[in-house]
Amino acid sequence: MNRKLQFRVSFSALAMLLVAAIFLAACGAPAAPPPQAQVIKETVVVPQTVVAQQTVVAEKTVVVPQTVVAQQTVVVEPTAAPNPEAVIPNVEPNAEVTLWTFWLSPTFDDYIKSTIARFQKAYPGVKVNWEDHQATFQDDLKNAFAAGKAPDVINLSVSEGWVSDYATKGLLLPLDDKVSQDVKDLYFPGLWNEQLVDGKNYQFPWYQGLSVELVNMKIYSDTAGLKLEDFPKTVDGLPALCKTIKEKTGTLCDIRLTTNDLLSQMVYEGGVKVISEDGKTFTFDSPEGVAWLQMYVDMVKAGTVDKSVLVTDQDRVGLDLFSSGNAAFYQTGPNLIREVRANNPGLYGYLAAVPAPVGKSGVLGKGLMSLSVKNDTKFPNASLALAQFFTNPQSMLEFSKQVAIYPSTPKSYEDPFFAAKPIAIEDSAKPIAKDIISKYADIVPTIPHKADVNDIVLQAVQAALFNNVPAQQALTDAVTKANALLAQ
Amino acid sequence: MTKKLNLTPYLFLAPALLVIGVFILYPIFAVVYYSFTDFNIVTPPVWTGLKNYTQLFQDDVFWLALRNSFIYLLVTPILIILCILLAIAVNRKLPGINAFRAIYYVPVISGSIAVGYAWRMLFDTNGLINGVLLSTGLLQEPIQWLAEPALTLPLAMSLTIWLGLGFYMMIFLAGLQNIPEELYDAALIDGCNAFQKHWNVSLPGLRPQIVFVAVISSLAAIEVFNEIYTLTGGLGGILNSGVTMVFYLWKQAFRLQHAGYASALAIVLLVITLLFSVFNIRSLERGSEQD
Repeated sequence: MNRKLQFRVSFSALAMLLVAAIFLAACGAPAAPPPQAQVIKETVVVPQTVVAQQTVVAEKTVVVPQTVVAQQTVVVEPTAAPNPEAVIPNVEPNAEVTLWTFWLSPTFDDYIKSTIARFQKAYPGVKVNWEDHQATFQDDLKNAFAAGKAPDVINLSVSEGWVSDYATKGLLLPLDDKVSQDVKDLYFPGLWNEQLVDGKNYQFPWYQGLSVELVNMKIYSDTAGLKLEDFPKTVDGLPALCKTIKEKTGTLCDIRLTTNDLLSQMVYEGGVKVISEDGKTFTFDSPEGVAWLQMYVDMVKAGTVDKSVLVTDQDRVGLDLFSSGNAAFYQTGPNLIREVRANNPGLYGYLAAVPAPVGKSGVLGKGLMSLSVKNDTKFPNASLALAQFFTNPQSMLEFSKQVAIYPSTPKSYEDPFFAAKPIAIEDSAKPIAKDIISKYADIVPTIPHKADVNDIVLQAVQAALFNNVPAQQALTDAVTKANALLAQ
Repeated sequence: MTKKLNLTPYLFLAPALLVIGVFILYPIFAVVYYSFTDFNIVTPPVWTGLKNYTQLFQDDVFWLALRNSFIYLLVTPILIILCILLAIAVNRKLPGINAFRAIYYVPVISGSIAVGYAWRMLFDTNGLINGVLLSTGLLQEPIQWLAEPALTLPLAMSLTIWLGLGFYMMIFLAGLQNIPEELYDAALIDGCNAFQKHWNVSLPGLRPQIVFVAVISSLAAIEVFNEIYTLTGGLGGILNSGVTMVFYLWKQAFRLQHAGYASALAIVLLVITLLFSVFNIRSLERGSEQD
């Protein structure tokens, strides 16, 4: 039975009972004041979703003595308030939606399952099928889209550019006109406006990471004699630091280029304008671009960086080098400190964390993870509700208590959990997290043929780093190739 | 008089035909079709005619990948020589020889991905190889093995050889044990030394095994992927130094989402492999006729 019908039946039942009550009251002692008005008031304010409960209560009124009907009816049980977390209207009845997460099982099984259980209380009747995909996530997702079996709600990486990849192909649901302003206002504006495609947002910002420099004090301080407070505040301070560490300790710097998205790294680190305003010409061979690349070329020539880490596309390679105790510092998220602790407990006691150096753009970073809804879902409102629910302030707060991730919702930071003085190193960024996350912004413009252009840039960067091609020439050649793609 | 159609044989054939149709014929025809389209896997393909093929022949990385794949074929003669020597070495009645044979076979039953990662750890800047070389004074500075473009292919090839050593050794061992002992006795009576004995008796006797190993190891070499993927962390080596045909095909299809272009690469690879197989089978037949 749908809600409208339920309401009508319930309303009719209440009306009949009311008439009966009036009739009974009229037959009783005339001294009693007419109490029915209170009953009507209660009936009118009953929200549709809890009408059935009101009906039951009202039925009780017929069993009370006629003379005291009025006094009895005012003890109507309080109307259950709508679930404050149910902010998406018109969720399809009996909807069944599939959620795919990226590398969260088995560590966070309990959290995911309990959040789904809370969701089902907020949106009764919606069935959620959860699957976690790991190393093959991207392949599985592409195959699922190709087969028309893509999940309704998808955990996509903002930092890796997955949202714009799928949105550009028309596979994701634009959110701006699907959710109310109140819902949008739950998130940091910088995060809501990430990965825009043609000015439209396709993701609910989910958990965020903070980039910190994990420092091995045994090498950095004890052997190299450096002070933590002197750690470079900007990226251009890294070459000198690496030179000092190499000279004093013989160890190489554990620095990784974002090989699958070098254009973004150029933008954030080098302040490089990678494409013209009209989007018709690539411009990353500018003096800023050359200076950015030259910095890395100089470090490779000086032999101060581990080259295999520098050009790997796997964060694990750099993290493993740091965890093995053979690097002075490594930039990562506090959430991965648990990996260091698990793999090398002896190193944990020597760990310190400092804010990651900022690039020339001055922007601290961009979002990490999001939840998107596929464009052709059968249950758009239920899917939106699920994606929004997982990213709402309460869910985000609960997740933050499980692991060192940071909410995309300002309200979550009001909890005392974030104000507590950090004890473990994993929590060292907690008190400053809100300030940093609130400044995150996606400053990379929409780039056509992004994967191909990034591959061209990667070849150019490798040619400059390892094949003695001058940085200017390497980037100019890359711009020529990339512009040829635009002309196709 | 009309002949009655007997359906029974077709019913027996049906399951096999169904499997072949779904898992072999359909994919082949699909790849042929996709090779003429612009296809990114997630959205429907768009017909582009011969564009992928014309682009392919102007693609420097394609030619580099082809060159690397042919260089990779060097593993075949190395494997044949090493495996014959190893087979001769273990073809003796010595105490504990079966244990040696089993040990040589262990890499075959180890997963190539797992072995690849183990290999990667060995050659890491802080890995065992550098550790040994540094501690013995043979090196003053660690070598960054995996970041040297010139070393990418040799390292991957050595991994392939190590993985295949036990398997091919077993084939040659079986071949050696089929050579009649009288032939060796005759060679000794004729005054052959140990080398001449094997050169004049063992090698001719192993001819069928040599051709067989040459065929299958060369086909495996031209289709190498796992070793390149694991050793280069999925990037194909610095400056594409380790990119082979199959790796490039994978990169185009799944990293850059050019499944149409990757299909054209697959068709070219199919033609090369087919030609290679025909050449090898002809050699095998010619060898059999001479025997």
